[in-house]
Amino acid sequence: MNCFEARQEFPALWRKTATAERRADLLGHLKGCDKCDHAFRVFALTAPVLHGDMEQPASRVSMPARREFSLADRPRRFASVTREVSRPNRWIPMAAAAAIFVFASSAAYLSTRAPNESIGEALSAPELSLNPETAGDPLAPEMPLTESDLAS
Amino acid sequence: MWGRSALSREGCRLSDKPDEELIAEVLGGHNDAFAELAGRHRPRVERLCRRFFSDEEMAHDIAQESFIRAYTALASYRAEMPFGGWLRAIVVNLCYDELRRRRRRPEELVGDFSAPEVQWMQTANVASPEDIVGEAEERREAYDLAHRLLDTLKPDDRMVMVLKESEDLSVSEIAQTLGWSEAKVKIRAFRARQALRKQAERMLATGRNR
Repeated sequence: MNCFEARQEFPALWRKTATAERRADLLGHLKGCDKCDHAFRVFALTAPVLHGDMEQPASRVSMPARREFSLADRPRRFASVTREVSRPNRWIPMAAAAAIFVFASSAAYLSTRAPNESIGEALSAPELSLNPETAGDPLAPEMPLTESDLAS
Repeated sequence: MWGRSALSREGCRLSDKPDEELIAEVLGGHNDAFAELAGRHRPRVERLCRRFFSDEEMAHDIAQESFIRAYTALASYRAEMPFGGWLRAIVVNLCYDELRRRRRRPEELVGDFSAPEVQWMQTANVASPEDIVGEAEERREAYDLAHRLLDTLKPDDRMVMVLKESEDLSVSEIAQTLGWSEAKVKIRAFRARQALRKQAERMLATGRNR
């Protein structure tokens, strides 16, 4: 057995599928070849995962109880890919944001029209200005004249 | 390729119906047939998942999710390829996504080894090959350290290593499973072997020096 053949047999030795003859040949080769012996030790460090049977030894953590397949038994970590999963209503924050925007826009618009007024004052129109006869007339008196006014 | 197991893991005898017949039954509305199909392939699926993840719960969840996705996509299955190969592609893609989703670990092996882990590294340095094989079967730390070594690989490299070494797939089969070119598979396999050897040498040196 040469070095190439020996290294090809590593997985079979690990999985115990090599014939007795091949196994003896390989072990004999490893005893006489330092490079292949070292290569086997490197191989052995990953072999438990790459070439092991992956059954659980008694010392390992026990597996979750095995059950029959069920569509309802979907792992939680993958639940987000399920369409049926209920999600919080996304319209609520969007509606709140829209309401805030409308309110802020209105406030900004009214503040440019009447910068010295509060929003409440701006929204409540003065009664005097609603008089069609005096509205918009700069010469109209502010208050009706009385007789004492005329006398003075 | 994944063959059909005559026995379920519980030891109960499954029907002798071929996979294709069970698939036809599922598509015809008999969901029970899928439970049988899943029972038939579950040991291999779980074994493959455990080669990617040391966390048993994660491996179990990915296996379960694989069957759910296989069920929902069963109408798209074409009998030109064996069901086992089709299912394996689903499993491998899920594992790949999960490896990529995980926070990337540094590609250097973290050196905080427990006493049993150091003991196993010393065994790997000095014991005879037969004793190494025997000890590895009994030691959880051998399994954990192997996972730690493989965790240092990039997801792409790890996929290739597992499919090539554990599943004994050819380069063209790996390329087909992952949807890569054969050249990419070869390059990844080469790089993965180089990186693993480098890290394993360091681990052996750690065992010698303690």
